[in-house]
Amino acid sequence: MSRVVHYLNQFFAGFGGENAASTPPGVKPGAIGPGKKLQELFGTDHEIVATVYCGDDLAAASPEAVATILDLVAQQRPDIVLAGPASTSGRYGVACARVAAGAARAGIAAVASMHPDNPGLDDAGAAVVIASGASVRDMGTSLERLARAARKRLAGESLTEADGRIGRIPRRNVLVDRNAAGRAVDLLLARLRGEDAPAEVPIPRFDHVTPAPPVADAGKATIALVTESGLVPVGNPGRLESARATRWLRYSIEGKATAAAGEYASVHGGYSTVWANQDPNRLLPLDVARELEREGAIGVLHGEYLVTTGNGTTVPNARRFGVEWAAELRRAGISAAILTAT
Amino acid sequence: MAGSALKLLSHRVTTVTLGPATRYDAGVLTVSATDARRALAHAAIAECRVSWASPGDSARIVKVLDTVEPRTKAPGGGGIFPGFLGSATSQGHGETHVLSGVAVIAAGYLPRAQEAVIDMSGPGAALTPFGSTHNLVVEFTPAEGAPWENVDAAVRLGVLKLSALIAEAALGAPPDDVVGLPAIPHTRASGLPRIGAITNLQTQGTFKDVFVRGKSFGAASPILIDPNELHDGAIVSGQFGHPALKNPTYMHQNHPVVAELRRRDGKDLEFAGLILAPEPVEVEQKERVAAQAAALCAAAGFQGVVITKEGGGNADADISLKIDALVDFGIGSVGLFAEMAGAEGTAPSLVVPPERGTALISTGNYDEVVRLPAVARALGGATVDVAGAAATAEMELPTAVLYCSLSPLGAGRLTCREAA
Repeated sequence: MSRVVHYLNQFFAGFGGENAASTPPGVKPGAIGPGKKLQELFGTDHEIVATVYCGDDLAAASPEAVATILDLVAQQRPDIVLAGPASTSGRYGVACARVAAGAARAGIAAVASMHPDNPGLDDAGAAVVIASGASVRDMGTSLERLARAARKRLAGESLTEADGRIGRIPRRNVLVDRNAAGRAVDLLLARLRGEDAPAEVPIPRFDHVTPAPPVADAGKATIALVTESGLVPVGNPGRLESARATRWLRYSIEGKATAAAGEYASVHGGYSTVWANQDPNRLLPLDVARELEREGAIGVLHGEYLVTTGNGTTVPNARRFGVEWAAELRRAGISAAILTAT
Repeated sequence: MAGSALKLLSHRVTTVTLGPATRYDAGVLTVSATDARRALAHAAIAECRVSWASPGDSARIVKVLDTVEPRTKAPGGGGIFPGFLGSATSQGHGETHVLSGVAVIAAGYLPRAQEAVIDMSGPGAALTPFGSTHNLVVEFTPAEGAPWENVDAAVRLGVLKLSALIAEAALGAPPDDVVGLPAIPHTRASGLPRIGAITNLQTQGTFKDVFVRGKSFGAASPILIDPNELHDGAIVSGQFGHPALKNPTYMHQNHPVVAELRRRDGKDLEFAGLILAPEPVEVEQKERVAAQAAALCAAAGFQGVVITKEGGGNADADISLKIDALVDFGIGSVGLFAEMAGAEGTAPSLVVPPERGTALISTGNYDEVVRLPAVARALGGATVDVAGAAATAEMELPTAVLYCSLSPLGAGRLTCREAA
């Protein structure tokens, strides 16, 4: 009998909805909530030994929370980790994906379940993701599909589209016989001959973000400044990366009237920072934001700014920053943010 | 496209050493440190040091800047590296002497330069073209108070002078190999498809710039150029971003797409010519350059084009816009891209894919992590800051940091495949 650990969010673990979204990571013995149906489907072949849970806000915004979840999972010495189904719920999907990805990295088999439109899909790393339905109404069929996938995975079989596998299959670097220039000319000549020769890179499909509606009354709004410009206090105390950022940082602007030269500098490796460093307000428009605050055009400026470096950042990391920033700002009661991009 | 014939006389280098005088004799290259200092002498440079790193050495070169293949046309350079050593006239004709198997590498700190690593042995050596060349590493100490722009320019000029000077040592020696590169005719009636190339140059300000015949190509419009000019150093790199995705001077001197089109000319294609295009930073400028380059391809009678880039995500657009623009002229094209697919290879591979084309070649995933073993000796600097490690230590690095490992000009054999 294989040992299964199930990951759920605070809602399905029985702690409540949005009001409980900051529930810290924890563990309960056996199957709970949708896990009970999973256990039914496994019969006596596999046992859900524990359910690990966490509030969505925390799990989607805090790498520490995910690390704690993974510790709790590992303590159960599972043969497999199942996460979700998360349906289309964004933060839950990100959490499921990151738990599954972390487990896979630690050498534990993992299968997450979510809808193909869930933004968490790209965070699943090398873990397997199985399609769920779009809503809780589809829970039954989603769990059946997840249980079937788990059985196959535990049997050492690979999972394909036929099993409902979604997301991307990892791409690995390999050395081939001919150099890229030679392969390029081959492909070009084949296409000119009208042959349907295969390309080497899949064309990505990017989702499109619908802009939020305008702030109803900016004069009453709390506004945050956020930026991917790499602008940090001089000396870069948080060691923000100049390219391929894996993290973001926050710095207080409480009581500051301006982003003064000599106090801030950009570590961004993708553009010339000379002009920005001469007047860091060009990246972080603190001076004009304070004016607008004084004039009453905006309510209050948030006391800290969030920053990362947008230079060669992977889409999953960029998406994660977005989810984490949104959760962070929502928790802080921010109604709008100004994102300066470079 | 008009041009004239060039003869390349190659002298193979098998053994390298430092010694009192710079000389070449039957495969043995000796370089004088005094000559190197003389070549690098400049008000912006206080001191320079040279040392060799050869294939198989337990050595790592860090903070790699530009790399140059030693070449000369005659005593004093004779027009090599036009606009730097010679006048800015078009070269690419007559005779050019090449020291093959050798690279002159500048290494050290410059602002905006991203950490770039070459391992001379182990798994990293197989991923960079310079793991299999004898590398003369030039390290430098800037003069006190010298502006970094001047240091950059001085190192560039010095390394070009040194490269020409070393090559001159072989002027009297019999070549190991002679290759004739005839001019490219305007029209032929072979019936073979006329294939050209567009080479995008990353021209995005000081420390991220590329020079054509000695001048920054930043504000330029796309130009048609005799590919033979590249052999004589018409393109010199001053671009120090994205180490794996960079095209140093050496790669332009040995342009892999040009070499491939040359090799197949008259067999399964007609080499129709080479277009150089800048990679500006603004989207509108990228669109303008793409439209101009496509029009130039049509005017030059290209039926198919191989498009290459230099640099990271934004440079994807410089290929994709051209692939799309060429569709309007009925010209097929293929683009060479590096994938930015995340450490696990599951992220979308491209930042800006083409909308009207799908013929894309992969030069490998920039984010995949490579473990490099500890080495006995490091050149170019004491630390690898991106790894937070001493330069000689064992370290894990994204492929992105390994110099020219994802060569956008197509020099490498890396690609990506879906894991089973």
